[in-house]
Amino acid sequence: MTIAGAHAGAMTGLRRLISGAMARDLTAFVLPGPSVARSMGLDLAGSHLRVVGTPRHASVLIVVGPLPAGLRDAAAVIYAQMPRPRAILALGAGDIAPLPDAHVSAPLTRAGLQSGLADLRRVIAAGAFRADTGEFTAPALEVRVEYTCPMHPEIVRDAPGDCPKCGMTLVPRETASNGHGGHDTPQEDTPSPAGHAHAGHADDAGGEGPYICPMHPEVVSDVPGKCPKCGMFLVTAEEVESHGHGHGDHGQGHGSKAQGAHMHGDPAAGSAQMHHDVPDEAHHGHEGDGDHCGHGEQADHAGHTGHAGHGDHSAAGLDGIEPHFMSMVELTEGQPRSSDGLQMEWIEAPFGPFFPGLPAGLHLNLTLDGDSVAGSEVRSLVGATELVDGPQMTAGDFVERLAAMMPLSPAAYRTLACAAVEEAAGVEPDHNARRGRAAAVERERIASHLGWLAEFGLQSGFLWLAARAGALQLAVGNADIDGIAAQAGAIRRLIRRVEAAPLMRMRLRRIARIGKDAPASGPVDRARGGGADARAGDPTLIALGFEMRVRDGGDALARLRLRCDEIAQSLDLIAAAGRIAVPRLPDVGRVSGEGAARIETPRGAASLSVKLVDGKVVEAELDTPSDVNIALVETVTAQQELGDALSAVASLDLSPWEVRG
Amino acid sequence: MSIVVVLVSLAAGAYVLAVIERWAVQGHLSLTGPAWAALALLGRESLLARKSDRLFFELGPVLLLVAGLMAVAVIPLAPGLIITDLATGALFLNAALAYVLVALIMAGWGPNGAYAMIAGWRFLGQFIAYAMLIVMPITAVAMRAESLSTVEIVASQAQLWNVLYQPMGFALFVVAAMGLAWLPPLDLPDAAGELAGGVEAEYTGVRLAVLRLARMVIILALAGATVTFYLGGWLGPWLPPWGWSAIKILAVAAAMLSVGRYMPRIREARYLALSWKLGISLALANIFVVGVIALVVPI
Amino acid sequence: MTVQMIFLAFFGGAALWFGVVVFRTHSMVRSALALLFSQTAIGAMFLVMQAEFLGVLQIMMMATEMSVMAIFMVMFMMDPGGMGKMDMTHQKRLSLWAGGIGLLAALLLVWLPDWGPVALSVPGAHEQAADLGRELLGRSMFIFQSAGLTILTAMIAATMVAIVPNAEQRK
Repeated sequence: MTIAGAHAGAMTGLRRLISGAMARDLTAFVLPGPSVARSMGLDLAGSHLRVVGTPRHASVLIVVGPLPAGLRDAAAVIYAQMPRPRAILALGAGDIAPLPDAHVSAPLTRAGLQSGLADLRRVIAAGAFRADTGEFTAPALEVRVEYTCPMHPEIVRDAPGDCPKCGMTLVPRETASNGHGGHDTPQEDTPSPAGHAHAGHADDAGGEGPYICPMHPEVVSDVPGKCPKCGMFLVTAEEVESHGHGHGDHGQGHGSKAQGAHMHGDPAAGSAQMHHDVPDEAHHGHEGDGDHCGHGEQADHAGHTGHAGHGDHSAAGLDGIEPHFMSMVELTEGQPRSSDGLQMEWIEAPFGPFFPGLPAGLHLNLTLDGDSVAGSEVRSLVGATELVDGPQMTAGDFVERLAAMMPLSPAAYRTLACAAVEEAAGVEPDHNARRGRAAAVERERIASHLGWLAEFGLQSGFLWLAARAGALQLAVGNADIDGIAAQAGAIRRLIRRVEAAPLMRMRLRRIARIGKDAPASGPVDRARGGGADARAGDPTLIALGFEMRVRDGGDALARLRLRCDEIAQSLDLIAAAGRIAVPRLPDVGRVSGEGAARIETPRGAASLSVKLVDGKVVEAELDTPSDVNIALVETVTAQQELGDALSAVASLDLSPWEVRG
Repeated sequence: MSIVVVLVSLAAGAYVLAVIERWAVQGHLSLTGPAWAALALLGRESLLARKSDRLFFELGPVLLLVAGLMAVAVIPLAPGLIITDLATGALFLNAALAYVLVALIMAGWGPNGAYAMIAGWRFLGQFIAYAMLIVMPITAVAMRAESLSTVEIVASQAQLWNVLYQPMGFALFVVAAMGLAWLPPLDLPDAAGELAGGVEAEYTGVRLAVLRLARMVIILALAGATVTFYLGGWLGPWLPPWGWSAIKILAVAAAMLSVGRYMPRIREARYLALSWKLGISLALANIFVVGVIALVVPI
Repeated sequence: MTVQMIFLAFFGGAALWFGVVVFRTHSMVRSALALLFSQTAIGAMFLVMQAEFLGVLQIMMMATEMSVMAIFMVMFMMDPGGMGKMDMTHQKRLSLWAGGIGLLAALLLVWLPDWGPVALSVPGAHEQAADLGRELLGRSMFIFQSAGLTILTAMIAATMVAIVPNAEQRK
């Protein structure tokens, strides 16, 4: 078998050697993310491949588990950005369209990973180069040209024409084809951003089109020339590309432009440059890199064309001195100003859904003012699925379904579902079962917090922590009571080292502070000197010696320390329980009734209410901690430096799978 | 002749360093790993972002490599084994390494991507933090040697290595050198978890190979500078001079590569604050102390 | 001698060409870096003229100074995309006059004063560095110290003026 993503070229002797090298040196980009792979028990670090943080440096795309529908378009963008030769290894992934069919498929187990990698190495060694390479296209990659008015960004049309508001010719701009779900319905009702001095410009349109300043949309002239405010060349409307003056939500068309941070792009975010290399796919068939060029120069010299005779213009005031020459006051008038008072260009950069330092599946769109965050927008791309699938869903299926929906904490949600169904059915689990369940949730808490530590280590460059916590998470994941006892010493040593690590305080103190009034859940709540813990009302846990752990400070450092405390406490609780038993739902028969349960998952309190009719689940409602905590993202990122903002988001430990609202 | 010897040992050193880096980053030691990785990079597509500034994109990695090679030219590996023994060697080293900044800005700006661009400008912020702390400790070193020539600086340490003579300068210089070579915890320009590779994020294939090679050369140059200025260069008993140089340079480079593994990254504003409030005061004190010692007890 | 002249002419030409590029390009960053390489070429001219210390110093200082300038240009001018359509020439009449007068002054300075006999042998690089040090700490000390202070004051003042404090900071 040869791979569809081969590099074009015949298989010569030297290329055979290089193919062999590529088969040995596998660099992998993991979807949805390494954290998800770890919580599914896959040991990527020990598999002789390098996990990289950007698709540009990856040769293999490893898809772990079923990929949520909302992430598949973004996955196609990732695949398109990988240099050839590239291959896909699907581990229990099922349908991954619009990605091409996986070159190697294997079950989602450690053995499956090993055999899949061995097959993949054979495939790459045999077929890294091919004379005839196929193209990879997907709807998410097609760049569609849409037309917008330079003055009225809210006007977006599919066909060229005039702006209904001012009569100016609409200018083309590139966008992801499926991004906004079509613009057939004009969105003119959006209130026009205030402050535009555009009255009467309608008359200017005509002839070869008006000349406008790329920086100051209110400067419009029928003759070519320079902007009286900043001295830039006026350009014809056609030349105004997607420089992003159309971001209506930022007030006027200031210099905010969507820079090409395309690699982790989410097509739905729809900024044009995000996919800026995607049309290159069409050229991929050629050999070498020569074919990828030719764009840069063009962009640079575009300004030369058609600007003859701009030397003379009305010079009011002093002879030879242009009015308002480079005046910062004029230049930045009416534009948003950041807290430091320095006026800079704003850029929008998408982070996620596969960004290495953020939870997989989380899409974070940051408006950056220099390197500090001026605005943020966050959402989960995983998408909420229906809890109840069809009318004939047995209680057992419901429990399995809920556990499968939450790959980052399946045991906690399984326990939650069991507890709710049991209450609805009036079944009471015995003492030992309760203890075993509590211990299973505590084990998951240890694994989840270790996973968080590993992710934090990766994000902040604390690589020892990333490796060690990741390895311990894998060791704890499905360990029995003896296994946990065997790892307890290593885990406690890790916690001590984390607390004593140099620079940790400097990195996290006063980052992502959350006041006591903001709604929060889980460790985020308890790290601000108080808060709630659903375990405090559980007699089983209290009997095991549970006491709520609390830290003061409300910042990222307090959260880190609280998670460390909770790991230590969970080790004690498991030892006290003496048994670990992932809950199994007893046969509830054909009962009817309603029940509700509430447990403390690793991320905070989750509550579920179910309604049973004849032993079938007909209605269910779930509240999750990430639903509460995701609302904090805007607060904790505002006016932070980029690295701090990402640490802040990470400190909330969000699970995009849990976000339902 | 010495050019060939130095370049060959540079290539060998870069390879050993690549092995050490993989060991530090991934945790397992593989002697052939970097060779396969380099071969694989040569076979991969070398993509060019569509709206890139082509000139900067192409020139960035090359300028980085040239800057590193220029810096290596004034590092003596043994008596007589130096590419060029300039009278202004210590200053020349600075001048060459100043272009690391220029190259990273070009490489960050070139691809027209937000991550790379922020990474490039971040390095400029970092530069303002480390720049003075490279120059000021070197000043104290040159004061003792009464020369800027790297060969004479090594010779001046025959009685006592500078690491003992001016330990404060040594500590400041090593931290600043790690900032210059953007090594963790000061790896802001390619911060993996924050900017997904930063400056390196858009480079693939051959261009990425050049970038990585240049990085290794720069780390070696800075380790060489540390050894020359503070650890007595080729000086040492029993072994031949080149042996001492090799051992010391590789040890310093390995230490600089692996220390960042055990702590989180520090952001440039805090590094800047520390460097200026604490670092520069200490560097000035160091110059003063060295001046007094040089006048009172000439050793 | 002739080889030296050829190199001198080459670097002089490069300095001029990069200087022209500063105004011909349409990208702020390219403009700043062209200025950098123009200054680097001047440093190389120093080296060709066997003024080693001055040459190396010029090459070092300009790399950092021009990079800092580049970020200020990008920050304050909000260069759209860097590959934008920014015109680097402004106030042409004034610039022409200023340039012309500057050129004239430079030429007069070259031709009018008596520069003394041509030095046939250049002191060695070590000796040059020592001489330069004595000069800087001798009769030129006052000039350099006051120039340094002036530049520092100007930098701080310019930054202060550029930042408009917002309502919160004013309180």
